[in-house]
Order: sequence, then C-alpha cells, then structure tokens
Amino acid sequence: MASNMQTTPRRRPAFRVHPKTRRSILLWIVFLPLILAVIIPLVYMTSMALTLEANQLKFPPDWFPHPITISNFTHIFADKTLPIARWFGNSLLVATVGTLIVVFFSSLSGYAFARLEFPFKNLLFSLLLFSLMIPVAVTLIPAFLLLRDLKLLNTYHSIWWPAAASVIGIFLLRQHFYAIPRDLEDAALVDGASRFRIYWQVCLPLVSSAMIALFIFTFLGLWNDLFWPLIVLSERNTMTLPVGLVVIQQGSYIQRGLAFAGAFIASIPVLLFYAIFQRRIIAGITTTGMAGQ
Amino acid sequence: METVQAPTSATMDDSRRWKTIRKQLPNYLFILPHYLFFVAFILYPIARGLYISLFDWKIMGKTQEFIGFANYQALFKDQIFWESLGNTVQFMLMTVAINMVLALFVAAALKQSFFGSHTLRVLFYAPAILSVSVLGIIGIRIWDTQLGIVNYFFTTLLHGPRISWLGDPNLVLPALSITTVWWTFGFPMLAFLAGLQNIPEPLYEAAKIDGANTWQAFIHITIPLIMPTMLFVTVTQFIAHMQVFAQPYIITAGGPGNNSRTAVMYLYETAWKYFRFGYASTISVVLALIMIVVTVMLFYFMRRRTEY
Repeated sequence: MASNMQTTPRRRPAFRVHPKTRRSILLWIVFLPLILAVIIPLVYMTSMALTLEANQLKFPPDWFPHPITISNFTHIFADKTLPIARWFGNSLLVATVGTLIVVFFSSLSGYAFARLEFPFKNLLFSLLLFSLMIPVAVTLIPAFLLLRDLKLLNTYHSIWWPAAASVIGIFLLRQHFYAIPRDLEDAALVDGASRFRIYWQVCLPLVSSAMIALFIFTFLGLWNDLFWPLIVLSERNTMTLPVGLVVIQQGSYIQRGLAFAGAFIASIPVLLFYAIFQRRIIAGITTTGMAGQ
Repeated sequence: METVQAPTSATMDDSRRWKTIRKQLPNYLFILPHYLFFVAFILYPIARGLYISLFDWKIMGKTQEFIGFANYQALFKDQIFWESLGNTVQFMLMTVAINMVLALFVAAALKQSFFGSHTLRVLFYAPAILSVSVLGIIGIRIWDTQLGIVNYFFTTLLHGPRISWLGDPNLVLPALSITTVWWTFGFPMLAFLAGLQNIPEPLYEAAKIDGANTWQAFIHITIPLIMPTMLFVTVTQFIAHMQVFAQPYIITAGGPGNNSRTAVMYLYETAWKYFRFGYASTISVVLALIMIVVTVMLFYFMRRRTEY
C-alpha cells in the first residue's frame, strides 16, 4: 500500500482514504456474499409472513410484499386447531422454569464439587464426566419409558425433569467457583455463617457472569429444542412452539403464509433477545464455549 | 490437580475419621438435587438402554421377550440402517468440513478490528439463535424447485436450469448440509475467533521479520496454535451432526426414497412410529459406539498433532 503511494508522488490524490477505512471497505466487499446469504433467508421469511396467501405462489416472490398484510397472523390466531398463543405460553413456561432449575442445580453441584469435601467425591464427579461421552441418542428411549411409567408424558415435567439432569452447567460453574479466593469463605466461616449461606451470599454473586451465560444458553436451548418435545409432548395443548411449527408445516396446514407467520412468531422473541444481549451472548460463547444448540 | 483436603492419613483413628465423615454428610445436600435427576434420566437410562436392546421390546407388551443379540444380528443385515448411517456420515463430513473451513477463514478476517467487525460477528451468529423448526420452514421453501429462491437466483443470475434440489438423490444431502451450515457456522466461527485472539501477536511480528508472508504465517503459526480449538470444534461438530434429525425430518422426510434418512431419524421412526423399542435401542447403542470410537480416535490423532 505504502509503495503504491510513493510511485505517484507528483499528483495529490483527489481524496485520501485512510488505510483503515480502505481495509474496512475491502473486507465488507469480501464479506458481502456471506452477509447476503445470511440475511436473505430471514428477509424472505419476514416478507412472506406479511404476504397474502393468494400471492404466496408468485415467482419470483415479492421481496417487498404489496399489500403488506397481517392476515396470516390473524388467520393463525383464529384457528382453534392451532393454539399458537398456547404454544407460545408453553414454550415460555417450559424454558423459563427449566432454565431456573438447571441454573440453580448446576450452581449447587458446581459449588460442592469445587469447594466441599465428601466421601466418593471423585467417583461421583467422574460419573458426570463419563456421561458427557455418551451420545444423547442412547438415553432417549429409557428416559421416555420412565416418564411414561411416571405418567408424566404430555406435562411440563417431561421437559423439566430430564433438563434438570444436564451436566454442562456444573463444569462451567465449578471452574468459576474455583477461582474464588478461599480466604473469603474462611472469613465468613469464622463469622459463623452456614455453608449454604456462604454459597448463597458470598460465592454466588461472584460467579454471576457465568450464571448469566448459563441462563442465556439454557433458555435458548429449551426454547428452540424440537427433538425431545416432539417425543414427549404429543397433545396439541401441551406442545411447545417448535413442535407446533412442525404441526403447521405437516398435516393439512400446508398454507405457506401460515407456516411463515408461525416461524416469524417463534423467531421474533429470540431475535429481539439476541439483539439486546448480543454483547453478552457473543462474549459468553467465546469465553465459555457454550452454544444454544 | 485439585487440593484434596479429605483426611487420608492412616494415623487418624477411626472415631475421628467417622467424625469428619459425619461432618461432611450435609455437603451431599448440595449435589443431591441434581444427582437424583442425573441418575434417573442419564445414568439409569444408559444402563437400561443397553438392557432393552437385548429384548424384543414392544410398548404395549406386558412381558418383554428376551432375545439376546438377535436385534444386533438383525441390525447388521438391515439395509435401511446402513443406508441411513451412510447418509448421516456423508452429511456429517460435508457439514463439518464446510463449517470448519468457512468458520476459520471468516474468523481470521474478523479477528482484525475494522469498521463493523463486531456487527458482522453478531450477524453471522444470528441464524444459530433460531429454532430448527424455523430453519426447516424456511429451508423447505428456499430449495423448492418451482418457487424456491435458490432456483430463482440460479436461473436469473447464472442462467442455469431449474434444479430439483430436494428431489435429486445426489443433491439432497448437500442441500441439507448447506442449510445446516447457514444455521450452525456461527459457533465454530466464534470458537476460532477466541482461539485466534489467544495467539500472541509478537509471533507474527517475528515471522514477518524472518521474511514469512501472510500465507506462511497462517500455515506455520496460526494452524498449529489453533489445534486445541480445532480439536474442540471438530469433536463438538462431529457429535452434533452425527445426530442430525430435524433438518431432514422437516425438510425432506427422509426422501427421495431413503436418500436423506439419517440414523437418528431411523431410530426415531423405529421407536415412535413403529413402537419397536428394543430394536430402536439397538440402533442407539450401535450409533453411540461408533461415535465414541471416532471421538476417542479424534482425540488421539489431534492431540498428537497439537505438539508444537
């Protein structure tokens, strides 16, 4: 870059582009195809959700729908066989409560494995590690049969209970509990605080950033999951949104606008959530190696 | 590794040891809530899954018939299983390869700070926030032969013919794979980005002084130093994509023919469509064994190459 400028010393360039600006422009041009590839499907979903059913079969599609209509949404909310508001509520409840359970249990266990002593601690911890090696596929059928025997299929418990068994959060939080200086706890012990109080009032606040990361990714995971809810929630009224979307997509609901509207309804909360917390989410992935899938 | 404070010395007499243990007993209360669910929904199911795979297990049956390894013998002769396993492996190899290469190059470019570099990170990770159901609804329409926008761009920009992406046995897996890359490449990208940012800058400066160009620096500094991240990403990607289910389930329903039926899809259908839980457990055990063996091999080979 510098040598290029030196070869034409006589004429001052019409306008000078700062090398950093030039690099920015260059990189944006290089990235343009990828940017478009990421954005176009989302734009397509949004505009098709706002397109009249009668115009859904246009080719090429109207990138900007005219007229813009919310008829797909009114249609979907009016359809009694597609209780999408109920599905939305189910998803919210399943994900919120499930996440609170996972974060609370993980912090308790993570604290114990980092800070406390008890017989067979190493063995119990090794079992957690061992379970990470086993693909989920193996546990599906027995877990389903257990829930069936407990008469918990088609209830929220069928999501919460298996979620409560997840181990990733324990490893994450255990790492963070380790980093807390022991003196802090000893001081509290001398002051006569109980173990639980030390965990709750001294240690928990110090790992809050890791807990927030765990909260975000567990929530996204539960909100978005399709496979497990598809297995255990088969009744219309207990379904979560991802299962409901599959119902709209399959069966007799092949109306395109309806499916796009459903997909839009399921995506908007997470995309807004993402837009608001993007810094935390991106930082959470790069520091903890967790992801929402 | 960890500082074990538990009293281990043999000199301690029994009464004192019991006293310590009794004092430690309340600590179990911390791990108890999780461990109950962990045993019920992970440990016990692993054992029971192995056990059920030895039975001709039917959901309505009062008593289940023990058939030993008959399920395993049947599975080894099961054409559909091998076909679906083959599809899974093809899909996994394509998806992991494209994801890794794309993610590594994008991360290398995004590592430098330029106007909007953070915005691009946020944008590229955005699809991963969506549910796979949303991905399926978008995917099935984007690849549509008549109305899909892939064919729209393909015919108007490249003047190519209309292609039946999801109807062609040779194209359906690549199409599903590209759909999946769109959805998942954000995570390996961010992981590589974190890995790249941990490489000390002076290494590159030293290489520059020694006369290395950008490409040589990439091959001899970046690649070796990013190997630990590479191992982590490869293993997590492998495990995720070997268990692919929802994309083919929603977008192609396994078709055309069996050309996009995957192993977990076959497992799902065997159990929840045909209610053959014993045979489905056998599928899950064999799939798990394959995955464990490959994961161990990945660790072994990539660890060795991590020395630098």
